Amino acid sequence: MFPVAIEEYRRPKTLVEARLALDGYDPDDIVLLAGGQSVMQAIKARMVRPRCIVDLQDLAELRGMSRADGLTIGALTRYVEIAEDTGLTGGYAALRDAAQHVGDRQVRNRGTIGGSVCWNYVASCLPAVVLGLGATVDLLAVDGKSRQIAIDDFLIGPLETARRPDEFLVSLHLPKLGAGSGSAYRKWGLVTDALPVVGVCVLITLASDGKIAAARVSLSGLAAGAQRAQAAEFILTGSDGGDAAITAAFAEAAGAADAQADKWADSAYRRQLIRTLGREVAETALQRARAGSTGAKP
Amino acid sequence: MKTITLTVNGTAYQETVAPRLLLVDLIRERLALTGTHVSCTYEGACGACTVLLDGDAVKSCMMLAVQADGHSITTVEGLAVDGQLTPLQQAFKEEHGLQCGFCTPGILMNMTDFLKKNPRPTDAEIRHGLIGNLCRCTGYINIVKAVRAAARAAAAQTGGQ
Ligand SMILES: Cc1cc2nc3c(=O)[nH]c(=O)nc-3n(C[C@H](O)[C@@H](O)[C@@H](O)COP(=O)(O)OP(=O)(O)OC[C@H]3O[C@@H](n4cnc5c(N)ncnc54)[C@H](O)[C@@H]3O)c2cc1C
Ligand code: FES
Ligand code: FES
Repeated sequence: MFPVAIEEYRRPKTLVEARLALDGYDPDDIVLLAGGQSVMQAIKARMVRPRCIVDLQDLAELRGMSRADGLTIGALTRYVEIAEDTGLTGGYAALRDAAQHVGDRQVRNRGTIGGSVCWNYVASCLPAVVLGLGATVDLLAVDGKSRQIAIDDFLIGPLETARRPDEFLVSLHLPKLGAGSGSAYRKWGLVTDALPVVGVCVLITLASDGKIAAARVSLSGLAAGAQRAQAAEFILTGSDGGDAAITAAFAEAAGAADAQADKWADSAYRRQLIRTLGREVAETALQRARAGSTGAKP
Repeated sequence: MKTITLTVNGTAYQETVAPRLLLVDLIRERLALTGTHVSCTYEGACGACTVLLDGDAVKSCMMLAVQADGHSITTVEGLAVDGQLTPLQQAFKEEHGLQCGFCTPGILMNMTDFLKKNPRPTDAEIRHGLIGNLCRCTGYINIVKAVRAAARAAAAQTGGQ
C-alpha cells in the first residue's frame, strides 16, 4: 500500500505559523499529522487522501503536562510520557492505566493523546478515559479564535468530533482532582494490549463520611463510540461503594448499553465484559480514592 | 519534491524525496539498507520495520520520510561497530534467538531501546516490551531468553551495578 501523491508537506514551528500553514488548501484536503499511528494507516490504505500534510511535530507549545489548577495535557503529549509519569495518581491514575497498555512500545513512542481523541475511533482507550475524567478540550481555529468545550460535547461518535477541520486541538484540561479522588481504566481485547473490545473507566470522589460523593463512568468499544454510563453513575453516587452497589451499577450499565455483536464478541459477551471489568475498575478506583483520603500512597 | 537531511547510522544524508515516500522505503530502496524489513505493510502491527528515531523504537512504515528531516535514525546495520556485535546481538546468536530471522532486525531495534530504558527487566517486562513485534516462527521463548541474557551480560560488564 502506498499513499496517494501528496503535493505539499509543511512543518510549522509555532501555532501562529501553523495557522498560516493551512493556507491555500481546502481544510478537507489537509491532514494534520501528529504521531501518525492512526492516520498513516488510513493514508496508506488511501482511505484518507491528503493533498497537503501539516506536520505538528515542531509545535513545542502542544507538548507536555502542567499541573496548575488541575492537569493540562498538551495535545502532542505521547503515550510513553503519560505512561511513565508516576505523578499521575489518585483521580488521574486512569490516564496511566490506559497509556501503559495502548498497543505496543513503538506505538506508545509515537502516538499522542491529542491524536487519539481527534481520531475518536470506536475501539480506543483515551477518548473514553478523558470522557470519564471530565476533560475540557481547548481548540484554536485558523482565525486565531480559541474555544473550550466539554469532552462530552467534543466526542460525537465513531471517527467524529466537534473539531472543525481548520481547528487545532491545543490541549486537554482535567479538573483538579484532589485527595479523595481515584480513577482507573481497564480494557479487554483479543490479545494483550490490543484495541478494546470493551473498556471501562471509573472516577470516584469520596465525601468526608467515606460515601461516594460523585462518580463518572465511561465505556469504550461500543458501536456508538466512547460514552458515559449514566445509569451506573447514578447508582454509585451516594452509595457506600460496597459490593451490592457496584454489582447493581454495572448490571444496570450492561443492561442499558447498546452492545453490538461482531466477529470479536457477541452482545452478551460485551455485556459480561462491562459487568466484570466494571467491578474491577470501580474497586481499583475506590481503593485509590481511599488511599488518597487517608494520605496513604495510592 | 522536498529535500531533507537526516543522519542514518551516523552518516549524514541529503535526499530529495516525494512527500508520500514512506520512511521504510527511503531506508530500503534509496539507502539500500535492507536489514529493515516490511511485513504487514500498512496496519503497523508486525514491528519488522522498527528503527530508532532519535533513540526511540518506532515503526518506519508508519512515518513519511519527510517527517525524519533533521532527525537521527539507527537501523540494524548501525548496531555492530567494525563487525563487533552488541551484547544484544551476541545474545541472540548464543541463545538461538532467531529461526528464519525475518523478525529479528525489528526485535533487535525495539529491544535496544527497551534495555537502554530498563536495563534490569523482569521476564514479564521483556514479554510486555515485545508486544509490537511478531515472530511468525513463534520463537518467543528463545527471544525472551536472549534479551534476558543480554541484560545480564551488560549488568556483569558494569560490575553488577
Ligand atoms: C499497532 C497499533 C495498536 C494500537 N493499539 C491501540 C490501543 O490499544 N488503544 C488505543 O486507544 N489505540 C490504539 N492504537 C491507535 C493509536 O492509539 C492512535 O489512535 C493514536 O496514536 C493516534 O494518535 P496520533 O498522534 O498517532 O495521531 P495521528 O494518527 O497523527 O492523527 C489522528 C487524527 O487526529 C488528527 N490530529 C492529531 N493531532 C491533532 C491536533 N493536535 N489537532 C487537530 N487534529 C489532530 C489528525 O489530523 C488525524 O485525523 C493502535 C495503533 C496501532 C498502529
Ligand atoms: S511493516 Fe511496519 S509494522 Fe509491519
Ligand atoms: S525468526 Fe522467523 S519470524 Fe521470527
